[in-house]
Amino acid sequence: MGQYALLYILFAPFLGAIALLFVPNRQVLQVRLIAAASAGISLLASIYLFFAFDPVKGGYQFIQRFEWSKELGISFHLGVDGIGTPLVLASAILLFAGVFVSWHIKDRAKEFYIFLLILAAATIGVFMSLDLFFLYFFYEMSVLPMYLLLGVWGSHTKGYLEMTDPEGLKKRDSVGFFFNFGSNSKEYAAMKLTLFLSAGAILALLGILLIYKFSGLHTFDILVLREQAKFSGNLATVIWLLIFFGFASIAPLWPLHSWSPVGHAAAPAATSMLHAGVLMKLGHFSIIRVAFEILPDATRELMPIAAVLCVFSIIYGGFVAFYAKDTKYVIGYSSSSHMGYVFLGMAALDYISLSGAVLYMFAHAMATGMLFAMAGWVYDQTHTRDIPSLGGLVNRMPFVAGCFLIACMASVGMPGTVNFIAEVMILVGSWNKYPFQVIVAVLGIVLTLAYLFRMMRGLFYGPMDSRYSHAHDAVAMVDRMPLLLMIACSIIFGIFPGHFYNVIRAGTDPLVARITQVVPLAAGNGDALGVTRDELKRQADNLSSIARHEADE
Amino acid sequence: MTFNLSMSGSDLLLLLPEMLLTVWLCVVLVVDFAMPRLPKVRLAYLSVGGLATVLLNLLWFDRTGVTGTLFADMFVVDRLAIFFKILIVIATALVILVSVDYVRRFRFFKGEYYFLILMSALGMMFMASANDLLSVFITLEFSTFGFYVLVAYLRDDVASNEAGLKFFILGVFVAGLLAYGISLVFGETGKLVFSDIAAAPPTTGLIIGFLLIFGALGFKIGAVPFHSWIPDTYHGAPTPVTAFLSIAPKGAAFAILLRMFLVSLATLKPAWVLLMVGVSILSMTYGNVVAIAQKNIKRLLAYSGIAQVGNILIGLAAGTKMGGDAILFYLLTYLFANLGAFAVVIAVGNLIRSDEIEDYSGLNRRSPFLAMAMLVFLLSLAGVPPLAGFIGKLYIFVAAINEGLYTLLVVGLLNIVISMYYYLIVVKKMYINEPIDRTPLPISTPMKAAIYVCLAGTLILGVYPQPFIDWAVSATLMFSQFTAPAALAVPPTVLPFGG
Repeated sequence: MGQYALLYILFAPFLGAIALLFVPNRQVLQVRLIAAASAGISLLASIYLFFAFDPVKGGYQFIQRFEWSKELGISFHLGVDGIGTPLVLASAILLFAGVFVSWHIKDRAKEFYIFLLILAAATIGVFMSLDLFFLYFFYEMSVLPMYLLLGVWGSHTKGYLEMTDPEGLKKRDSVGFFFNFGSNSKEYAAMKLTLFLSAGAILALLGILLIYKFSGLHTFDILVLREQAKFSGNLATVIWLLIFFGFASIAPLWPLHSWSPVGHAAAPAATSMLHAGVLMKLGHFSIIRVAFEILPDATRELMPIAAVLCVFSIIYGGFVAFYAKDTKYVIGYSSSSHMGYVFLGMAALDYISLSGAVLYMFAHAMATGMLFAMAGWVYDQTHTRDIPSLGGLVNRMPFVAGCFLIACMASVGMPGTVNFIAEVMILVGSWNKYPFQVIVAVLGIVLTLAYLFRMMRGLFYGPMDSRYSHAHDAVAMVDRMPLLLMIACSIIFGIFPGHFYNVIRAGTDPLVARITQVVPLAAGNGDALGVTRDELKRQADNLSSIARHEADE
Repeated sequence: MTFNLSMSGSDLLLLLPEMLLTVWLCVVLVVDFAMPRLPKVRLAYLSVGGLATVLLNLLWFDRTGVTGTLFADMFVVDRLAIFFKILIVIATALVILVSVDYVRRFRFFKGEYYFLILMSALGMMFMASANDLLSVFITLEFSTFGFYVLVAYLRDDVASNEAGLKFFILGVFVAGLLAYGISLVFGETGKLVFSDIAAAPPTTGLIIGFLLIFGALGFKIGAVPFHSWIPDTYHGAPTPVTAFLSIAPKGAAFAILLRMFLVSLATLKPAWVLLMVGVSILSMTYGNVVAIAQKNIKRLLAYSGIAQVGNILIGLAAGTKMGGDAILFYLLTYLFANLGAFAVVIAVGNLIRSDEIEDYSGLNRRSPFLAMAMLVFLLSLAGVPPLAGFIGKLYIFVAAINEGLYTLLVVGLLNIVISMYYYLIVVKKMYINEPIDRTPLPISTPMKAAIYVCLAGTLILGVYPQPFIDWAVSATLMFSQFTAPAALAVPPTVLPFGG
């Protein structure tokens, strides 16, 4: 194992998908077991990866490199740093949980699991790619399975345009409405998602090709490009904007978000989990990996764009979530609102806030994964997602209601969950640079509290319609296990964030130092900085010698 | 100019693949009428066997590096020609395999069908070797003759007859253009061999001549504005013939285009780059936009083919050796994806007797294998990783950006998104919509074999393309000499027997 951990994590789901091709359609149990086994191998290897990652050493670890194409300058180059490791772990957890959440899918289960495994494996592939080509390769590969997962196993959306405020006045998502060409069907949602994300990917690909051309290095290797490629002036701005908006479309940053809630709502539970949990983070991660690493100067100058747009994300998403009547819309818009926090943490370009952003990605993956899993459970039992028509389900499903409460608390950022730590880090880290945004973000938390508990009340309390008297709780272990797994992760890392924090700082510190060209003053906590400090000192010396040169001239 | 028609044994060796195929197609014809009781399926296997020997022969040439010219440089065997011949032979073999079920539909001339396919293949193999304008004309007409008959093969079908007529009339018209263009070029330069023309000064007559020749070849590959025959002919022709038409003649014509533009016209590159950029943008955009509206899968693939040709022309617009490599690799990926898609269309068409996209509803429930195969082929055509088409597109784009063709690049990238839409519409029908009739669709063995080959090709080229890229790179080595116009097109004769 050891050095090859990344290969296990990446290829276990792929091989599982291939193995499933040879299983007869009718052997549903066998299909599920194979999917669970391959997801399990991936999960175990990623837990190993997480704890074996050495924050003291920092940098990229578990590197695997194979020549792939000399003509095009592509190598199959894998490796994780402190930013990739938590996200790989999050993907593996959500995949494993997702396999069990979709345990009861009967229609074409084999194909469902094949596409689910490909989706998750491709997502994991992005988080560990150190080659721009393969980053794009896995990125685009993760988009296409979504089309089928939504279109075939998804459900139609009801009442998308109808949202009512407490007085009964009609509201609507104006930006989403603008991009909505009239249909609430799952086919429409699937097509919209695929085309939006492909269009975003194309922008990013153009940026990647421009990096390839103008670096003049004839390579797609990120590690080589970040050391040697120099871009300046308008060229750097153009490339940065292409990369940023290309990847921000999946993140989804306002106003590029309109595919996301529609897609969430149409998707089956496991797909929503992976979609909201990790697929959206591909955007942030790719921006960090490509724009931050290769274009540090442009990042420093242009990242305020994100600081402006994230305000709209937070407030807009929050308000629409407040008025939405469909459970999955509420969670979908809450996701796109919460992704604004990640952008805020990234935009501040501060050690604490960027680490908070990375931690928040993991925390949000767990919280939103739980919410979607339970919204899916409620939908499976009642066949509706319309909040006003539901109610009183706490009597029928006490376990799910309890988990839902924990998930809501996690999503809001209650102390004791990892979300709390992440939020505090983002808010504290960004305060110096963007106090206004921080105030907005705090208001956003209040909003989150409001809409999540409104949904909680709508689903589980109040009078219950007799139609839903047949609904039952998650009793079997396969149904409870995924929820318990995600709750456990959320709480354990919320109480013991030490190793997590060190891992992330090992990834973010060199990055922030490179971009801001400032050495961290409060280099507090522990081993991580103790050693990266040497690296930072070296960089600081370099910078000061450069500055001296310039002064001499 | 003098023709040296005396041939030695080693000269004949260069013609060995063509001679083998000639012998074999005669065998097929003779067996067909000498043994009337023989099931026609055997003729198909006989033809595939013959093509296999030709393929082995070509692979041997490729490995040992047999090169040389014949007939006063009219006929050239170099790595490029061998590459395209292999491409054509593989395409022909696959087309014959997918034809087996379809041929049962013909009321007569079942045996001659295979003969005509092989004859067209022979013509295209000569096209790949054409090294002067005269042989371009002869081989082009030779290869098209078979198609004139094949397109109209369904004698009782009005659409097929109309397709044949349209193809024939336009084809003859284009032959006239080609002959006129050649005469202009010859009149201006007094030369016919590509590498000799390279030194000629660009006069108006020469340019008009080459434009006419380009028009004729543009007709073969179906680039806008020479595309008007494509949809109707593809629609009306028997589907296996459409499949053949959609890949093999395009490959052969690109062999000629590469030789013409990268050898004869290498010095005029700044002038024709604009032409290529224009044709490429028009083809991609027109093909993709019109494909959206199609209701018939054959027409959809016809328009997608126009768009794909636009993509390939990006490589020609780059006008470098790397552009050439990218074209060769792209054609390989296109061969498997496109033939695979047509194989599924034929398999489905044989069973449900319809090519309407609407009738693909619920294919996934009726035949998971066919639906999955079609999904893979369409996504490869759309350029989705990890399938072959993605690498092909990326290769072309890298070649284009190295030459600074940003407009073309942006249009090409946007077109990927447009094309994704209509490919996904077919996917939607197959996977999401429910079938009206739920009976499973059985697939015959040769069809399954062909689809497996195409699937393997599409996946292997996508996941591990390096050996094939190496092959393409070595096949276009001759173009790297063409930075200076005086260089020779033809490498010195190297034969395994030292003579």
